[in-house]
Amino acid sequence: MPLNPALDPPATPPSSSAPHQRADARHDAWFRYLVRACALLVLAALVGAMLSTLWGGREVLFGDGLHFLTSSDWDPVNNIYGAWAPIYGTLVTSLIALLLAVPASFGIALFLTEIAPPWLRGPVSTAIELLASIPSIIYGMWGLFVFVPFMASIEPALSATLGRIPVVGALFDGPPLGLGLLTAGIVLSIMILPFISSVMREVFQTVPARLKESAYALGSTTWEVVWHIVLPYTRTAVIGGIFLGLGRALGETMAVTFVLGSSYDLTTSLLMPGTTISSSIANEFNEAVGLHRSALIALGFLLFVVTFIVLLIARLMLRRLALREGRS
Amino acid sequence: MTEMLLDTSLPSATLTEPESVQTSSPATTKLATRGLNFHYRQAHALKDITLDIPTQQVTAIIGPSGCGKSTLLRVFNRIYAVYPGQVATGEVLLDGENVLDPAYPLQRLRARVGMVFQKPVPFPMTIFENVAWGIRHHEKLSKADMAVRVEQALRRAALWDEVKDKLGHSALGLSGGQQQRLCIARGVALHPEVLLLDEPTSALDPIATGRIEQLVDELKQDYTIVIVTHNMQQAARISDRTAFMYLGELIEYGATEQIFTQPDKRQTEDYISGRFG
Amino acid sequence: MILTLHTRRRMVNVVALALSGAATAIGLLFLGWILWVTLKNGISALNLQLFTRISAYGAEGGLANAIVGSVFMDLLALLLCVPIGVLAGVFLGEYANRSKLGSTIRFLNDILLSAPSIVLGLFVYVIVVVPSSQLTGGAVSFSGVAGAIALALIGLPVIVRTTDEMLQLVPNTLREAALSLGVPQWKLTLQVLMRVAASGIVTGVLLALARLAGETAPLLFTAFGNNFMTLNPLDATASIPVTIYQYTNDPNPAMHAIAWAGALLITLLVLALSLLARSYLKRNRITYD
Repeated sequence: MPLNPALDPPATPPSSSAPHQRADARHDAWFRYLVRACALLVLAALVGAMLSTLWGGREVLFGDGLHFLTSSDWDPVNNIYGAWAPIYGTLVTSLIALLLAVPASFGIALFLTEIAPPWLRGPVSTAIELLASIPSIIYGMWGLFVFVPFMASIEPALSATLGRIPVVGALFDGPPLGLGLLTAGIVLSIMILPFISSVMREVFQTVPARLKESAYALGSTTWEVVWHIVLPYTRTAVIGGIFLGLGRALGETMAVTFVLGSSYDLTTSLLMPGTTISSSIANEFNEAVGLHRSALIALGFLLFVVTFIVLLIARLMLRRLALREGRS
Repeated sequence: MTEMLLDTSLPSATLTEPESVQTSSPATTKLATRGLNFHYRQAHALKDITLDIPTQQVTAIIGPSGCGKSTLLRVFNRIYAVYPGQVATGEVLLDGENVLDPAYPLQRLRARVGMVFQKPVPFPMTIFENVAWGIRHHEKLSKADMAVRVEQALRRAALWDEVKDKLGHSALGLSGGQQQRLCIARGVALHPEVLLLDEPTSALDPIATGRIEQLVDELKQDYTIVIVTHNMQQAARISDRTAFMYLGELIEYGATEQIFTQPDKRQTEDYISGRFG
Repeated sequence: MILTLHTRRRMVNVVALALSGAATAIGLLFLGWILWVTLKNGISALNLQLFTRISAYGAEGGLANAIVGSVFMDLLALLLCVPIGVLAGVFLGEYANRSKLGSTIRFLNDILLSAPSIVLGLFVYVIVVVPSSQLTGGAVSFSGVAGAIALALIGLPVIVRTTDEMLQLVPNTLREAALSLGVPQWKLTLQVLMRVAASGIVTGVLLALARLAGETAPLLFTAFGNNFMTLNPLDATASIPVTIYQYTNDPNPAMHAIAWAGALLITLLVLALSLLARSYLKRNRITYD
């Protein structure tokens, strides 16, 4: 090895002096405080959102108390605010969305993990996930200008068929407006589809191959393997994924606002217009003053608390999966 | 002779100290441990290790996996302290000073005791920056001086001729063997006194391994080298002294030739002859 | 009997698999439908006037002020949420990886990721818009800054999460190698780990931008809207999504056309960002195996 002795100075004494050491320790401590403060801002955002809406809605929440939750009388002219209609609308549209999106997501996850040839899986799952990145205002425009007329054209057929079934029929009874709870629920279901299906797809892939193989070895069909092996094995995370979708559906604003029609009348018919918490806020906030504005912020508080609980459940169930995988 | 007389502050050490462990005094001791114990969670990974590592020689630590040889190495520069819950008790003496003393400045220790890891981990920077980055933290050098220091370190690591025309290229583009020599260059650039090598060739092919071994032989003129290896031939080839560890205990320690030809202990003999491990 | 059971099982299987294929097809159909409608209506409404005239001219106007306002607020939002998010991610990935505080914040960050954006808008309304209006006697109320803060809250959890995840992938030996040179932790973090995680952080920034650029709800009561061009962060500020919202509610079809053009711009931007983020990480990731 061509060593140049001139380049090799004698071993120098340790170059870091004591003050240098102390400065390093001090900078390390500062940096630690800095990153901790930034992380605490995440916490502050959540707590802040909850407390600020509680504060903004205090006149209604603490003034009317339970009446605010149970009354369906929303009358800005006389300053009477009951939140039941938007709560009802939020629950109904989210429920419709889940009823449609859960089986569809399951089908998509099944298709992508068990049926599709490998070259097709990547592009199809990317495409499905793109549904999640389309802004909700676009869903709203498409919903209002394209999907609502489409629904108006098929609703007479729905009323004529499903509407004639006893009991359930009342849900599909009404004028073919196109706008309404059913339309909003369908649009929501498309929006939450990618969230639920990607969780399902991910967890289906965590099922150990030997479990599936031993079932196949016993002569099970693909469907039986998925239904009896894969689904029970991933049940917790699948429910977590569904709650994640529910959390999204509850809080979705713009798409719903366009296709729901804005009405505080409670109806059993899903073909009738309604309102949700978020669309009431979006529609009325900028014209509202005083108690009306306070009532809308109180609605926001309710929405936040409910979605927080739903998402909390979702994350707890998904975390158990992460633990099993050795992550987290 | 043993080191037990020095160990009066740690009475437990005298109880389990194997009497026949050879710690015969070499010319000068650079690094030494006295009654060193290491715990993490419930595991007792090092049990009363007492040994002297002579200056400017190559000391190999061998033993089956899980015997604590890497753990021992990681105590020498306190890199274990990165992880909470890992505790070392006893003494590690560098030139007679206990580096486990919390008051002993950590960064100075690490500048004096360099370390090279099992897998080469070049930083995502240029080749030049990989070497200069560590120096820059400890010394303010002019551009010209820095260039000299980097060249000298790369020559030291027998890498200069291969990279002198592409110092500005990313270090991630080097081969595995070159990356490992870059990591050695990074270490020697700080002019450490001790160089710890943790299975430095286990991820390399035989040719790259040969180069590293040759390098170790050259480096011992200036540095005290401690190398952990699972490869007994390697230990026999390059080390002056060898320590054999088993289940967290130092079973036998002595001149490499003696350990490999006439081990005192049955366990050492079994391991050397490949009967377990 | 055995044969019929077997046939039945096979039929159930075929039907189930066919339905799952149909579900996938329906999902793709809706994607195609929405994109097609947006493209068709958007392209036919595209013209130069959109980029040169402001919305004060109504149906004869364009989106210049909304485009400028959106770009302005989106960049300001990134300026706020990227440094904070990266540092918070560093806290989770490096300093509190296994601690209770760390896992709590990681958990809550995931909740913030799917929190209703309209409530985040209300939050900023209560803590920024109302106080600024009270402090200035109404001179400053809705503002670009307030809008940017609301958007930053949308982007923040995305950045935190990607940074945290990227740092989890960095092998410990890299940290040990740097620390064993006697370098302090903050230097290791900023000068080595940030480089390794850089591709992931860039991906996170792209994804965050894709999310916040399309948001409407949090801007309604923070930035509000403005028919004129402004770069004053204390003015009410127009944005493409809010303008789309207002124009869609207008009965005039000419306004709808402008809204479609805006929808096209936003959709293309958001989809391009999402796809870019995916491929960027694949190509530029630094791995140690």
